[in-house]
Amino acid sequence: MKPLMLQGHERAITQIKYNREGDLLFSVAKDSKPNVWWSLNGERLGTFNGHGGVVWCLDVDWETIHLITGGGDSSCRLWDLETGKNIATIKTNSSVRTCNFSFSAYQGAYTTDKAMGHPCEVFIIDTRTIDDSLSSQAPILKWEITDSKVTSMLWGTLDETIITGHEAGDLIQWDLRTGKKLHSIKEHTHQINDMQLSRDGTMFITASKDQTAKLFDTSSLELLKEYKTERPVNSAALSPILDHVVLGGGQDAMEVTTTSTRQGKFDARFFHLVFEEEFGRVKGHFGPINSLSFHPDGKSFASGGEDGYVRVQSFDQSYFDYTFDYNRD
Amino acid sequence: MAKKKGDEKVNHTPQSDNEEQNFDEEPNFEDPEGFVDDIPDEELLADVLESKPKESDGYENVVVVDGCPQVGPERLEKLQSVINKIFSKFGKIVNEFYPTTENGLTTGYIFLEYNNPQNAAEAVAATNNCKLDKQHTFLVNLFTDFKKYSDIPKEWEPPSPQPFKVQSDLQWYLMDPDAYDQFLVGIGTGVALQVWQNALPEPIVLQERPNWTETYAVWSPLGTYLATFHWRGVALWAGPKFSQFQKFYHPEARFISFSPCENYIVTFSPTGDRGDDKKLIIWDIRTGQEKRSFPPPDEYVTWPIFRWSKDDRFFARLGQDVLSVYETPSFGLLDKKSIKITGIRDFCWSPSDNILAYWVAEDKDVPARVTLLELPNRTEIRSKNLFSVADCKIHWQKSGDYLCVKVDRYSKVKKDKNDIKYSGMYYNFEIFHMREKEIPVDSVEIKEPIQAFTWEPIGSKFAIIHGDTANVCISFYQVNTGQAPTLLKKFERTPFNHLFWSPMGQFIVLANLGLTGGALEFLDTNDFTIMNVSDHYQMSGIEWDPTGRYVVTGVSSLKCKMDCGYYLWSFQGKILRRVMKEGFAQFLWRPRPPTLLSEKQQKEIKKNLKKYYSQFESKDRMRSSKASKELVAKRTEQMKKYVEYREMKSQEWAEQKPRRLELRNYVDTDGIDTEPSGSVEEVVEFFIKEEKTVIE
Repeated sequence: MKPLMLQGHERAITQIKYNREGDLLFSVAKDSKPNVWWSLNGERLGTFNGHGGVVWCLDVDWETIHLITGGGDSSCRLWDLETGKNIATIKTNSSVRTCNFSFSAYQGAYTTDKAMGHPCEVFIIDTRTIDDSLSSQAPILKWEITDSKVTSMLWGTLDETIITGHEAGDLIQWDLRTGKKLHSIKEHTHQINDMQLSRDGTMFITASKDQTAKLFDTSSLELLKEYKTERPVNSAALSPILDHVVLGGGQDAMEVTTTSTRQGKFDARFFHLVFEEEFGRVKGHFGPINSLSFHPDGKSFASGGEDGYVRVQSFDQSYFDYTFDYNRD
Repeated sequence: MAKKKGDEKVNHTPQSDNEEQNFDEEPNFEDPEGFVDDIPDEELLADVLESKPKESDGYENVVVVDGCPQVGPERLEKLQSVINKIFSKFGKIVNEFYPTTENGLTTGYIFLEYNNPQNAAEAVAATNNCKLDKQHTFLVNLFTDFKKYSDIPKEWEPPSPQPFKVQSDLQWYLMDPDAYDQFLVGIGTGVALQVWQNALPEPIVLQERPNWTETYAVWSPLGTYLATFHWRGVALWAGPKFSQFQKFYHPEARFISFSPCENYIVTFSPTGDRGDDKKLIIWDIRTGQEKRSFPPPDEYVTWPIFRWSKDDRFFARLGQDVLSVYETPSFGLLDKKSIKITGIRDFCWSPSDNILAYWVAEDKDVPARVTLLELPNRTEIRSKNLFSVADCKIHWQKSGDYLCVKVDRYSKVKKDKNDIKYSGMYYNFEIFHMREKEIPVDSVEIKEPIQAFTWEPIGSKFAIIHGDTANVCISFYQVNTGQAPTLLKKFERTPFNHLFWSPMGQFIVLANLGLTGGALEFLDTNDFTIMNVSDHYQMSGIEWDPTGRYVVTGVSSLKCKMDCGYYLWSFQGKILRRVMKEGFAQFLWRPRPPTLLSEKQQKEIKKNLKKYYSQFESKDRMRSSKASKELVAKRTEQMKKYVEYREMKSQEWAEQKPRRLELRNYVDTDGIDTEPSGSVEEVVEFFIKEEKTVIE
């Protein structure tokens, strides 16, 4: 089926996410205005005006009441989704690289970059009531990351842990009751660009610059599967209904201008979750894919690229019919 | 000082101490009474006696010259002057002796003494077996050699048998029951070499060695040997285990070429320090012997410097106005002299006969000329004069049936001192029909620049790429008996810059190589159907397997840093395999010797192809079903493990359900159904389109 092209951003897309119901699609980009779209027809519902620079990250709570965004203007902002108003702004010392609501959305977390003489830090904030006072409130918990900075972050299930992915490829699981490391592993050799949970949250997939994506167990950080490509992987997502994985990435954005799209390999690539075999590709972007997301019903997926477009692609029947041969008994 | 003097005195005058007893009390050196000297001098003074002059001393300065003319006393002086002239070249002759017979004639052998043994040795090396005139040949030996030869025992002892060295089967790669071909993959500059067998359904690696070579590796022309380069020289590997077969000590050898029948190998070390006359060496492959060495070429020449005739009988080298043809196994010049050809520019051996084609450049009023020369009798079997020639390229068809000379011609020429500028270029193809009587020649003229010319290896077609960059065309011509070549097909506006014929003819791959290239087209030249169009971005090379069943396109790390690796295609252009490999540098199919089947037998097989077809088909099916069975088993195993893991996790998840509910206000969000119970349905209106209609 013909994909929906969502044109609304002036610069490269940095992250996209569906809300839990899947009727809305949120996107943030290197321009300063996060967008929200109807996922059904690709019409833009509105923008969130307030950021003063690149917006790196976003998250929606499970009830689609609040949106959290963080950006290069050293702020983490919370928005009311009904009105689109910026209801709280937390000033930080450096860029906000990642931000997420917890499972219950009673808490939020964000991380800052190591820059301008400030260390990389992780903050846990109380998001039960969001208003102006949030900016003056002390965080529930905060700690410094002394070695390589955090480039992606996830809440564990049940609000008890968070998992951080680092520039050097490390994965660390933190216990929020003590603020201590629970597990620390290094399965990637380069920066971890993205991490996404499976639908039930028991597994998550990482996307790394080392040209691989890997599947881990959320509670033990045990490595389960590996998906290999020839290009840096910027984003990876797990299908909510099938044993499928989608990987997106491509040649580094910095080198793209000197080469043609053929060499860049900007396809979204589908792998079987268990067999680690590639079975399909979706072309379209003419720059690397920076963020990917499955629709919660698993019947379509969206990708946001360096080219500034968000593409929403519904699957044809043949996608659902395709099977791998193996003994099903 | 005084003391020393005193010592000397003591030694010198043991007897006279009675006279001068003024300064010291001297001990008595006299032998005691009744002393018997029982120690021989040899024991006491062995080291001193060693240097005692012997009768034979100076003999190594003497040479014996046999085979001289026998002359009477009246002509002795003449003989002496001749001998002196020849032999004084090697050093000063200090002594000579001409023995005579009773009747005054010289005996025919003479003795000459040089200043030192080096000169004598030089004289022997240079003049032994040298002809003085028709009847007389010098036989020169060192005088000391005679002792060596006279000591040879009278009784002949049979040499003891050497232990038999088991030679591994060099032809093993041709014995594969499924006729799988082998190929070589080089990683980096000498990082590793792999030899693969292109088996079905998956290629199998036969051998992989890190640092097997220091640069690259090549197969010999029939595929028997694999040659690798090392700073000490070149090594050959053969047999099922790729054990070392031979090594040739030639430091820093960078170039090699094999003779077509794999009897000899030429190594060239442009920078090696084995002396100037050892830059180019020809070796015997089986024995490892150095057959002949040559000084380096005078100027820049194209490799290979030596070009071999198809049967290894001759090899030739181009020189200034001269063509030097050498003979094997003597490695001497054919008929002892080079062939003088004024203005010779290039030559090429026929791949099927001992005929070579060369061309001579224009010189003032003398036209350029292409000549076919038959060897060893040096008969010119055909020549053709050509006018206004800037350059020629000689292309033999692989089966030797045709020869094409591509002639670059000009309409205007401008000479600026050393610079010659041609303008108004046009191009001729002179086609020589080698198999017809008197070798008729046809011409095809093309006005546009030519980028490539290739013969169909088996068959009578040729393909050319011509035209300027805006409109590159590919034309196919058919060469007919007794007629001018006919144009079969012309493709206009193609992106291709290289042509690769299947070694069996008929099929051709059109390709665009290079950093901006990648386009590929698979063409059947029987009816010019395009079988497939594809691409391999930035590919740097294409290799057909020797049977014409597979094509490999590759991106070498030496040309391009990204996405190095190779793709394997069927000859119809179906992609079979993509192999991405970091540092991939080289891909070479292992060549095969020509088939032993006669043409009739080959025809027979082609005719009955259907009979064999089903048999191979079923074999292929069995193999692929076996492979898919293995894959299915592997997947089943993976799935089983995963399902076990998931079951454990789902149980855990189910147990956590109460806590999840607690965290989300007792709303169950676990199901896929995204509509939680009790939610309010909301009608959302979309703006679809706006239309304005004027109401009358």
